[in-house]
Amino acid sequence: MTTTAPTRRELRAEERSRRGSPAVGRFPAPWRVLGYTLVGCLALLYILPFVLQAVTSFKTDPDAAANPLALWPSPPSTAAYERLFGLSEAGDSVPFMRWLGNSALVTVLVTTGRVVFDSLAGYALARLPFRGRRVLFVLLLAVMAVPNVVLLIPRFLVLNTFGMFDTYAGMVIPLLVDAAGIFIMKQFFESIPREVEEAARIDGAGVLRTYWSVVLPMARPALITLTIMSFQGSWNEFTHFLVSTQSSQYETLTTGLARFVAGGLGSGTQYPLKLAAAALATIPVAVLFFAFQRHFVRGANAGSVKE
Amino acid sequence: MHTRRTLTATACGIALLAATACSSSFGEDEDTAQEDTEGSQSLTVLIATSGEAETGAVEAAAAAYEEESGNTVTVEVAQDMNQQLGQALAGGNPPDVFYVDSSQFANYAQGGSLYPYGDLISDVEDFSPTLSQSFTHDGELVCVPKDTSSLALVVNTALWQEAGLTEEDYPATWEQLSSVAAELTQGDVTGLVTSNEYQRLGAFMKQAGGWVTNADQTEVTADSEENAEALDFVRGMLGDGSLRYATDVDAGWAGEAFGEGRAAMTIEGSWLAGAMEADYPDVGYAVVPLPEGPAGPGTLAFTNCWGVAQDSPRRDTAVELVEFLTQAEQQIAMGDAFGAIPSRQSAADEYLADHPEDEAWGASGDWVQGPVTLRGFDRVLAQFNTDLESLRTAEPRDMLSDLQRYGEAALEENR
Amino acid sequence: MIPTAALRRSPRGAVPRGDRRALWGWLFVSPATLLLGLFLLLPILMALWVSLLEWDGQSNPFTGGRADFVGLDNYRELFVEDGLDRTLFATSLRNNAYFVLIYVPVATALSLGLALIVNQRLIRGRGLLRTTFYFPSVTSAIAVSTVFLFLFQGSGAVNSLLSWVGIEGPNWFADARGVVWVVLGAIGLVDPDRPSGFLAEQGFLGLTWFEWLSGPSVAMCTLLFLLIWTSSGTFMLIFLAALQNVPQELEEAAALDGVSRRELLWHVILPALRPVLFLVLTLALIGSWQVFDMVYIMGQGAPGNTTLTPAYLSYQSGFGEADYGQGAAIAFVLFGIILVCTGVQRWLLRERNARFGRTR
Repeated sequence: MTTTAPTRRELRAEERSRRGSPAVGRFPAPWRVLGYTLVGCLALLYILPFVLQAVTSFKTDPDAAANPLALWPSPPSTAAYERLFGLSEAGDSVPFMRWLGNSALVTVLVTTGRVVFDSLAGYALARLPFRGRRVLFVLLLAVMAVPNVVLLIPRFLVLNTFGMFDTYAGMVIPLLVDAAGIFIMKQFFESIPREVEEAARIDGAGVLRTYWSVVLPMARPALITLTIMSFQGSWNEFTHFLVSTQSSQYETLTTGLARFVAGGLGSGTQYPLKLAAAALATIPVAVLFFAFQRHFVRGANAGSVKE
Repeated sequence: MHTRRTLTATACGIALLAATACSSSFGEDEDTAQEDTEGSQSLTVLIATSGEAETGAVEAAAAAYEEESGNTVTVEVAQDMNQQLGQALAGGNPPDVFYVDSSQFANYAQGGSLYPYGDLISDVEDFSPTLSQSFTHDGELVCVPKDTSSLALVVNTALWQEAGLTEEDYPATWEQLSSVAAELTQGDVTGLVTSNEYQRLGAFMKQAGGWVTNADQTEVTADSEENAEALDFVRGMLGDGSLRYATDVDAGWAGEAFGEGRAAMTIEGSWLAGAMEADYPDVGYAVVPLPEGPAGPGTLAFTNCWGVAQDSPRRDTAVELVEFLTQAEQQIAMGDAFGAIPSRQSAADEYLADHPEDEAWGASGDWVQGPVTLRGFDRVLAQFNTDLESLRTAEPRDMLSDLQRYGEAALEENR
Repeated sequence: MIPTAALRRSPRGAVPRGDRRALWGWLFVSPATLLLGLFLLLPILMALWVSLLEWDGQSNPFTGGRADFVGLDNYRELFVEDGLDRTLFATSLRNNAYFVLIYVPVATALSLGLALIVNQRLIRGRGLLRTTFYFPSVTSAIAVSTVFLFLFQGSGAVNSLLSWVGIEGPNWFADARGVVWVVLGAIGLVDPDRPSGFLAEQGFLGLTWFEWLSGPSVAMCTLLFLLIWTSSGTFMLIFLAALQNVPQELEEAAALDGVSRRELLWHVILPALRPVLFLVLTLALIGSWQVFDMVYIMGQGAPGNTTLTPAYLSYQSGFGEADYGQGAAIAFVLFGIILVCTGVQRWLLRERNARFGRTR
């Protein structure tokens, strides 16, 4: 029984790169300059849209239309942000604070639910022998193959049947568990040495106690990864909220912004306002990303098993 | 094996439970229980707005009703009315009062989602008969028209003068329209900007003597020579650049391009007035009738009604609110706020007397064509609108024959 | 049947009588099982039923009501009956097929390139580069679509940039022309405005060959750019993880043998990446049938139905046109397509998974 913590491989790679002994010699100087220039341009392609977004959100409507490429707003204006935070009299046609509140509420609930239920199920599938374990696992793999876009009408039907359409319950409960999360947790629990649990069991600890005070503390890195993936997933979730709600009181940042951007006769283009709202919607995930980048990387690789 | 059988049984059980026991939601077939009308009730109104002017006006009217009745009213703005209302009706918890577009009316009336309240409204004969006709299902007036507006040609007076044109030059024929549009097209300015929709370009079909259906909507008449002639004319203007679609000039709708001075003329209804006042108060404009075509004058008129949900537990109060909102006084106030022409004839006369400059938006008569209200036609016409996007390069007869084919199929399904 | 039998036989999987852990096991999985069953399995069954109905959303489809059972009519309208449904569906399939054709190879090649760059031990600031390339992948599709909508306006940033090098950019979101005809038209081979002959007269599923062969429209290209831009970071990380597992000894040995850089890439690194390459290709293939959020923001099918995808069409038929049966039918056809893609993926990776299973 070999058990490898998933981090070990990464550590090795990390260490190897720190040693930094190049296998092949350096490029000649002119090539290097060219290479750096190309790489720089490529990086610019990935950064520039965000820079333009940030700058434009401080422009006035005519300025944004006339000078879409200008990297400095003239005149600078915070009108878009004032309007989003309800500080101007321009009316409340963009109830940004409500969107933000809904997004925050839903994200917190969904993330909590996923961390609890995914790790419980993952542990049971990895370590607790019970009848039907294999069948459940096969079902789980099957369920992971069901794409979200296929579930638009089906989800609506089932929420409707349960009387959960257009409620917070309908927005949150179906998202409380995700198959990919269970899968990640199962993989991780399988990597924990069995001996640790057996020792706890011999000491007389029950299943719940072993799980809570022995196994979970060891699973911290995986739990953090799961938390971050769930946060990002539910903050950016769009399709489910689109079909599970209809009233504007349940609009989140994604559905609210999407309806505002895609619809709205007579509202004009209003790009500074739209881009400011989009920027604010991006910030929480961005902050999380820069703080916990390592976990995003692990999530991306684990997630590749999904889809 | 045992496990699997248990699982299957459980799954079936759950499915069965879901399918039978929990029929509490969905649009119900049996009548919705009504709330006690004694206490104060709270109503939800869902509207599709043409802009902040209209939203504000509806909110003000709702506030006035709250004041008078002691009930509370929440006004919600739909960004995508068809989708949001459709979802709400299917969800069984619809708003109490909502806008119903005449093109959607047949779908909802046939589906039994609308509470027919026409006979509960006082002085109901005052509503324009042609409009009321659009909201009649099985001989019963289901909902009353909110307001109306016909299309007119709107010209930017400043750009007009700059080009050395006078009021004499307001186009009365297609030839004149095409020549002034070419004259006005200069630099950033396009002569005429409108949308690629049959709801605008259809006016030319009417002026040529054609239309999508016959008068009583029993036959599709799309592939007529008249319609082709109209689209050929539009195609010619698109070809020389004197007519452009709103999307081609980076505008969300034609009114935006017009307000920003990038369009010298546009074809819009009275909702433009509200938007101009709110967003471009300094731009001067004049509203004139659309030019005449080979078959004489022609324009399109649009209207919404105030729908009351069959599933609402507060239908009586909802009707009371509609009664309040459609009083002559309220309709005139809405007109003042965002240009909607009142649907009550008495109010319309009074309003147009006060606003002679809006006369062209209040057209009536048999040269005014209402939209197609057949069930299942909205998607056929949506496809036609999609085809119209490429009118500049495509063959009008092909799109008309597609429209004919799809329209006949939809008509067949209704029978 | 096989898994259960295997469970009985394997000594580790056997359930000792009276073991409390079995009870706890069920307790632990029950919330997840219940939720997945209720909100994943059950909805699919219900939708399967609805796809056999003519249901307008204004009654309860499960208690009879006014929903008529029409059998396979909804499916027949998609494939057999000449009409609007079939034309729209064929259009959406065509659009998505072109999307796949361009997106899959380009996104894979680009992300492999990015991974090779970021993996270069000789480049400074690799961590920063990795962050840069990956960041678009974590942001919300709605937010970045809004940004692209702004960048690609007719007189927007992209066209301003293009005008610096003397190119007059198209009006991206309003341009329904297929790029194949645009290119062929530009070099004078065909007149895209006036198709003629066999291509314009003959057709399949209600679209002429001219329409089938048009390639993605200019508007669809913006969607392609956006999806490539947001997904290349994720794929890059998958490649990167694999690259870091290429044994360095191999590279060193090759270097000692005097192998050139290009040969090293072709004969050492790429063969080592083969399984991951397949993984990324199939992930991209599956992902490109699932584009919905971006279509919702950036076109909703317009212009000229050229950004219509089956996923959006399903939504549109159901929620926009209250034809839920048709919408559900489209969703199931789409499901079938995605399942086939997933099956291909599993089949291609079967070897890898088998090895994976054994080490456990």
